[in-house]
Amino acid sequence: MSILAIDTATQVSSVAVASEAKLSAELTMQAKLTHSETLLPHIEQVLRMASVKKEDLDGIAVSIGPGSFTGLRIGLATAKAMAYVLKKPIVGVSTLAALACHFPVPGVRIVSLLDAQKGNAYRESFEWVDGRLVVREPISVEKTVDVVTACGEVDGPVVLTGDVIAKRIRGKIELPENVKIAPAHLLMPRAANVAMLGLQKLAAGEADNVMDMEPCYIRRSEAEVLWEKRHPEAAR
Amino acid sequence: MSEKLTLGIESSCDETSAAVLRGGREILSDVISTQIPVHQKFGGVVPEIASRKHIVNIMPVIDEALRQANVELSDIDQVAVTYGPGLVGALLVGVSAAKALAFSLDKPLIGVNHLEGHIFANFLSEPALEPPFMALVVSGGHTALVDVRGYNSFHLMGQTRDDAAGEAFDKIARVMGEPYPGGPRIDALAKEGKPTIDFPEALVGKGNYEFSFSGLKSAVLNYINSEKMKGHELNKPDIAASFQHAVVDVLVGKAFEAVREAGRDTLVLAGGVAANSGLEGRLRAEAERQGVRFFYPNRILCTDNAAMIACRGYYQAEAGHFSDLYLNAIPGLDLEEK
Repeated sequence: MSILAIDTATQVSSVAVASEAKLSAELTMQAKLTHSETLLPHIEQVLRMASVKKEDLDGIAVSIGPGSFTGLRIGLATAKAMAYVLKKPIVGVSTLAALACHFPVPGVRIVSLLDAQKGNAYRESFEWVDGRLVVREPISVEKTVDVVTACGEVDGPVVLTGDVIAKRIRGKIELPENVKIAPAHLLMPRAANVAMLGLQKLAAGEADNVMDMEPCYIRRSEAEVLWEKRHPEAAR
Repeated sequence: MSEKLTLGIESSCDETSAAVLRGGREILSDVISTQIPVHQKFGGVVPEIASRKHIVNIMPVIDEALRQANVELSDIDQVAVTYGPGLVGALLVGVSAAKALAFSLDKPLIGVNHLEGHIFANFLSEPALEPPFMALVVSGGHTALVDVRGYNSFHLMGQTRDDAAGEAFDKIARVMGEPYPGGPRIDALAKEGKPTIDFPEALVGKGNYEFSFSGLKSAVLNYINSEKMKGHELNKPDIAASFQHAVVDVLVGKAFEAVREAGRDTLVLAGGVAANSGLEGRLRAEAERQGVRFFYPNRILCTDNAAMIACRGYYQAEAGHFSDLYLNAIPGLDLEEK
């Protein structure tokens, strides 16, 4: 099975073509270019580099968040329209889970952290057990400082990954002894990981529906939150 | 005329729309999913909510447009999409989908200026219309006079210096406690009232085709506030009628002066505010008096819709003007000389 994978959840733009047996090609960039301009040209290039015709793909995997709302929608709109035209299955993959695929080592708590603005992070933590990624703490929005403190209480080694680390942790917050941060290239979401998780989901028959798929926002829009504050009688 | 099939996509504000056009003029489908009810409680379009609706609606709307047109994806010859002006997050959903469609279909992509699309809506409702003609563009964010010299040749006579007419309509409706969208409410109220209040008209000098509505907007808002301070009950119909009268006066005056200066015999109205019956009525009456042909799109084609985008795209494609896969959304895109 050959799959095209897309991750535009953060400032990183990543596109890959892979099968279960190998990663054929990947283009991962963090150069502050806009996803909207570069994503399609990158897809075209990666398919060419991998010598895979788009018609021969068996599916499309897309990182569905949490992350930048606009980035997620660029990736998802692109993936949906391609899946629709090419008549291929589409599968959404958690951006946080894809990050955890950087460290497939048992006995380590992997904490994925993506920017949720205003000093907050989307946090989900994982462990690899018998070659499977197991969720230890489900997705929530946490104060970055609190996450680091809580990691110090974990019994065993912890590795932190995700864009929050470069923005607000590395060199800014003192780390407990059992907590390590991943090297720079492993703080980035990468489409190769999205491809691997996507292939597993497709094999398990967990394809999504191109007609109603949405990003995983976690957070509502600020306008809705404000409106409910002003209209407590309507909130229930 | 070529029988090319153009798939149009529009997502610049609060409607998600897809359309299939045969040749330059024949609408096979024009599917519009409006979000107006979703935004109503906020008193205006919330960009993030609009974007969230677009990403859910985009594929069903495209699918429905193809179904209604009774064509297969493989029959589509080219994909046209609005790339500005509009809300950036909203535009990006349509642009991203359109790029992926064009790439996957191996068909050309055409980026379309939404305001030019509004002008081209007139070709769809008036099949005999041909350039040259004068176009008065009045939408939520823009007011402009464009001398349409050919399908791909435009001369910009003048445009808004500050607030567009549509913005003033929405703001004044909101201050009077009327629900969003404000334009149709003001138009309805104005029918019940009389233009008894003298509001200022700006930039009315001869040969000046620029528009400014911020002074008028402030004058109306000040008037409403002072009435409220005095404890008077607002005479909404008269305020609406007086405000609308002032706006329409300026638009009608400049439009016909532009028609004369450019030596045109035809005037078309374009943009969301074209649905305003007060404006349309005055333009029609003045056109009759002056012996100028006057056209405006029907209600559906006045709103944001993909058929007009497909139409504009078709004529760009005929001239060989295509976009590449680097096409980006440009929220502040203006009307330009071409």
